[in-house]
Amino acid sequence: MIKQLSVFVENRPGSLMNVTSALTEAHINIRAIASFDTPEFGILRLVVDKPAEAKTYLTSRGFVVRIHDVIGVELKDEKGNLNRMLSILAEGEININYIYSFVIREGRAPVMVFNTDDYEKAAKVLSAADVKIVEEADL
Amino acid sequence: MIWAKEETLPRAEIEKIQLERLQETAAYIYERVEPYRRKMDEAGVKPGDIQSLEDLKKMPFTYKADFRDHYPDGLFAVDKKDIVRYHASSGTTGKPTVVAYTQHDLDVWLNNVARMACMGGATSEDVAQIAFGYGTFTGALGLHGGLEKLGASVIPMSSGNTNKQIMFMQDMGVTLLVATPSYALHLGEILRERGIDPSKDLKIHIGLFGGEGMTEPMRDEMHKVWGEQFFCTQNYGMSELCGPGVSGECTELCGMHINEDWFIPEIIDPETEEVLPAGETGELVITCLGKEALPLVRYRTGDLTKLMYEPCKCGRTTVRMENLSGRADDMLVIRGVNVFPTQIEEVLLRIEEIGPHYEILVERKNRLDVMTISVELIDDRLLDSYAKLSELEQSIRSELKSQLGLATQIRLVAPNSLKRFEGKAKRVTDLRKDGL
Repeated sequence: MIKQLSVFVENRPGSLMNVTSALTEAHINIRAIASFDTPEFGILRLVVDKPAEAKTYLTSRGFVVRIHDVIGVELKDEKGNLNRMLSILAEGEININYIYSFVIREGRAPVMVFNTDDYEKAAKVLSAADVKIVEEADL
Repeated sequence: MIWAKEETLPRAEIEKIQLERLQETAAYIYERVEPYRRKMDEAGVKPGDIQSLEDLKKMPFTYKADFRDHYPDGLFAVDKKDIVRYHASSGTTGKPTVVAYTQHDLDVWLNNVARMACMGGATSEDVAQIAFGYGTFTGALGLHGGLEKLGASVIPMSSGNTNKQIMFMQDMGVTLLVATPSYALHLGEILRERGIDPSKDLKIHIGLFGGEGMTEPMRDEMHKVWGEQFFCTQNYGMSELCGPGVSGECTELCGMHINEDWFIPEIIDPETEEVLPAGETGELVITCLGKEALPLVRYRTGDLTKLMYEPCKCGRTTVRMENLSGRADDMLVIRGVNVFPTQIEEVLLRIEEIGPHYEILVERKNRLDVMTISVELIDDRLLDSYAKLSELEQSIRSELKSQLGLATQIRLVAPNSLKRFEGKAKRVTDLRKDGL
């Protein structure tokens, strides 16, 4: 399991930048970021190097922030690998609420992050199929 | 046409009727309504002290808050069995303002509405489409009953459902529209978009508007949209006083004639509560005469206007009130519905996931009022999924809908992003200009 930050953002110019500039001030390194196409307001999802510190700093700056667990799996950058992982989850009847990826990992295999309502079952079917689940320390 | 002889009496005769009825009312409330008796005792005034209309000043004011303090029926003066109708309108908080009528009250009310419709040019020949929302508000059933009394044919259409409004208007040969002026403009524009020219394709020629004020620029727009044949007047009332029928514009369009045999108007300075001389603008205070179920003395309407006693070319001698120029309090009129910011605040404070600060923005889009309420999200648990945030937005909207009877837009914003106030908070921004 890895920790993800969810930050409430309004859908208007500068709102994402407000989050990233606060994180820069706090010397937090962003490893993955995702936001989805929603009207009026949305939730910015982030994986950072120091989630607890990031939350404390952002909260002190007036943001609404939540930390939760998400599953990150390491996938070799080869054709069909994402499809294979998704097939495993589909066979296990696990629903994915949203998914996004780490883009650059300095030579290491890419990580896909996803959110589901049933972590235990997802972890179980992935482990059973030998998919590598990334822990916080591996990032 | 003038409906009742009381509308044309010499001033001395109008005042004679007013004094008689005022004396009766003072005695009636002192005897029957405990909160009035207490207030009169506190003010040191007895019914016998009312010897002239000037003495009305001695009577205590009645406020909207009195309805809340004596909710639901503490101001009623008759037995429940004598009440034949209840209506209700917005209160300043969660409880509505409930009003009641005996059969006699209904007769007087609807007669006053008939007078007002007549002032605006309606006759028994008219086919009237009522596009006010039915339900507990007084507007729809008031105009409905008054127009029936006049002998017109009434179509109880209610508000919304524009397609059906247009179909009836075309198929039934509607000649008269009852609506809020903003809804009438909206409807007229949709007719134009569909290639219908009201001046050629419809029989409509009279508009009786109420529920919100109609400015002169709105009246001009009304002619552009509905055609020059469309004669529109506005009228005034509020449920506490009876509903519509307190006053209305005549065909001379020089203010709204008050049905003075049933209502005594005064204008006061809302701060000092001093009565102002005729011709000065201030808060309208109305004393209802002859009301049985819910007598009301010196009611603070919150509406700003002035009184004009000069005789009118239409032949009526009743005093005219100028078209409203604003409010003495922070009440908003949204799509003809009265809204107090305190009602909104009460709902918002009950919702734990949001903070106590809020902002209200009122705009007019496509001629219709849109109210957007910004609230600050404070509960991070909702960030688990977009669905939870969206559910919060929905639930705020539906709580407000049941409180206000109106649809609102909710804007969730980040904490501390709304303005903070040190003195009196200015939470309402009203961008409507001249009602357009």
